[in-house]
Amino acid sequence: MVNVDKLKEIARETISRDDVKYLIGWRQGTYGFRAAPYFMSTPEEAEELIFSPLCTNNLATYLTLAEKLPVPRGQEPDSRKVALLVKGCDSRAVVQQLVEQGISRERVLVIGCPCRGVIDQKKVEAKFPDVREAVSAVWDGDTVVFNLPGGSVAVPRQEVLAGKCLTCRYPNPVIADVTVWEEVAVWGSDDYVDVRELEAGSPQQRWGFWEEKFASCMRCYSCRNVCPMCYCEDCVLDRLNPQWIMRSVNTAENTAFHLARAFHLAGRCIECGECERVCPVDIPLMKLNRKLTKEVRDKYAYEPGVDPEAKPLQASYRPDDKEDFIL
Amino acid sequence: MDMKKVRKEKFADFLATLAEQKLYAPQKVGESLRFAPVTDSGKVELEMSNTTVPPKSVFFPQTETLYRYEVGNTEIQQPAMGGVDIVLGVRPCDARAQVIVDSLFGWDYNDPYYQERRKATVVGLACNKPCVNCFCLSLGGGPASTVGLDLLMTDLGDAYLLQPLTEKGEKLLALAGETVETAAAGDREAAESLHGQAEQMITRKVETAGVAEKLPGLWEHSLWQETANSCLGCGICTFLCPTCHCFDIQDEVEGLEGRRCRMWDSCMFKEYTLHASGHNPRPTRRERTRNRINHKYSYFVQKFGHTACVGCGRCINYCPVNIDLVEILRQVKEAL
Repeated sequence: MVNVDKLKEIARETISRDDVKYLIGWRQGTYGFRAAPYFMSTPEEAEELIFSPLCTNNLATYLTLAEKLPVPRGQEPDSRKVALLVKGCDSRAVVQQLVEQGISRERVLVIGCPCRGVIDQKKVEAKFPDVREAVSAVWDGDTVVFNLPGGSVAVPRQEVLAGKCLTCRYPNPVIADVTVWEEVAVWGSDDYVDVRELEAGSPQQRWGFWEEKFASCMRCYSCRNVCPMCYCEDCVLDRLNPQWIMRSVNTAENTAFHLARAFHLAGRCIECGECERVCPVDIPLMKLNRKLTKEVRDKYAYEPGVDPEAKPLQASYRPDDKEDFIL
Repeated sequence: MDMKKVRKEKFADFLATLAEQKLYAPQKVGESLRFAPVTDSGKVELEMSNTTVPPKSVFFPQTETLYRYEVGNTEIQQPAMGGVDIVLGVRPCDARAQVIVDSLFGWDYNDPYYQERRKATVVGLACNKPCVNCFCLSLGGGPASTVGLDLLMTDLGDAYLLQPLTEKGEKLLALAGETVETAAAGDREAAESLHGQAEQMITRKVETAGVAEKLPGLWEHSLWQETANSCLGCGICTFLCPTCHCFDIQDEVEGLEGRRCRMWDSCMFKEYTLHASGHNPRPTRRERTRNRINHKYSYFVQKFGHTACVGCGRCINYCPVNIDLVEILRQVKEAL
């Protein structure tokens, strides 16, 4: 059972440690059905922490997003740990970052929060439109209870959870230094129905589907920036010389951008769905990423972000690999 | 000027009277709403809260070719300018925003590409139902503000009331002929009542008095780091802002064909201030977040006399990490 008091207690203990720089969690947002990422550095701040069906953001992205300025001469770099709250899906990002050596294990303190699924904000807003006040939510059996201004309303989980949560196979963190409460029973299974549906179409139909979606892209790069696996310091998109992808926003360049990103995520995407959630023009990016996840699973029997000891797919090599496809 | 109204069953006919002109209106593009050329009046979407992308994209397109050239040849070909006659369905906040952007594009250099498109007739659509994060009232606007509009439409349920505000608006109504009828006194009262009700629905407020003067003194305040902590550094808040107007100019060459383009840029991007030397005067999101607020609420005020924000709420609605402008301004007011 979710026990937010226990979470706050662990957070207070953690942040009191000398070797912890800050703790990243969630707090209630400023309006509607929102939670916001919350960076805290004093025990008192733990009071605002929440863990609820609103906690959609994958905070693992902040491990690699943190900007480091050059250390002034004569000063030591700050080598303290970052403490991070993770749901099951978020924890897979931490594992994959470790596998790729994007972060080092001794710099991160993982606080695991077994999760019963987070909401899809759009589904909830369609049910309860025009809610200005900040609304808290809790899990209760097979429902999510929203504490609306007019009173609490329970809604079946099926109706408000994000699509990724309905098929979730990893509700429990796969890596954690401490797990705040007992693990939950796995409820989901995933046979890539969404990908299969799209695969069933002709090439013309599939291109027609994506062409319209890519045409609407504004190249705000929120999908890239929110992605815990997109952490190259020098992103191919920002390069001017050579300029692989032009800054002109049109269907051709937008397509090049999205396909380049999808290929760079093959065997790396941990399916947190953040790219699709944040897209302001609702491009169904997870259909693209999951197509490659499915290929990687079928062809290499590989699943990223579950085993900290694994080798990265694209960087591993087996001497006994027959390679008979080459000739 | 006489008010008219167009019944909803005649709205397609009304739009047909404008068929000779290049008309832009809100339509679904992919899964989002934005202003696009009207080819089928059935696709015009006016039953909306507001478009995802503001109508600035019509006057100041996200990517615009300034001229074309052939590599090795000094002659340039300029594309035809203009191409917009009417923009219909503009919310009052976005119309006000365009007037704010006008001060930039008509300032030290009178931008011909922009100015040519700004000759278009702007037909507004009053808000009967503002969004939860609208705070236009705090910035001198309102759900039926007429600033920057030639004609204001109000949705009366079975008809749109058409209130001409300028000569251009009158001209448009003259074209409409039989598709519109004279509005009754009751229609006008109904519209006024709707405007009043809409104002009541706006609950978010910011206090802008003194902010422009106070911001420079908060340069090193902790609120910028606190806000920047969760910022992803993406372009949502700036690209969807109806007053943000920054652009980059790049040469794009394919084979021997080159074009000089300008495209929207964002002060939230790291490359925005990156110097050729490698130095970056805004090296982290702290400086970039600080700049976004300062530009809107201080620098622009000092230069042009008004805030570069109209309270449309898009930056709040679409921010993936709940960075809330109203909240930042509250912190600015409270900061010591």
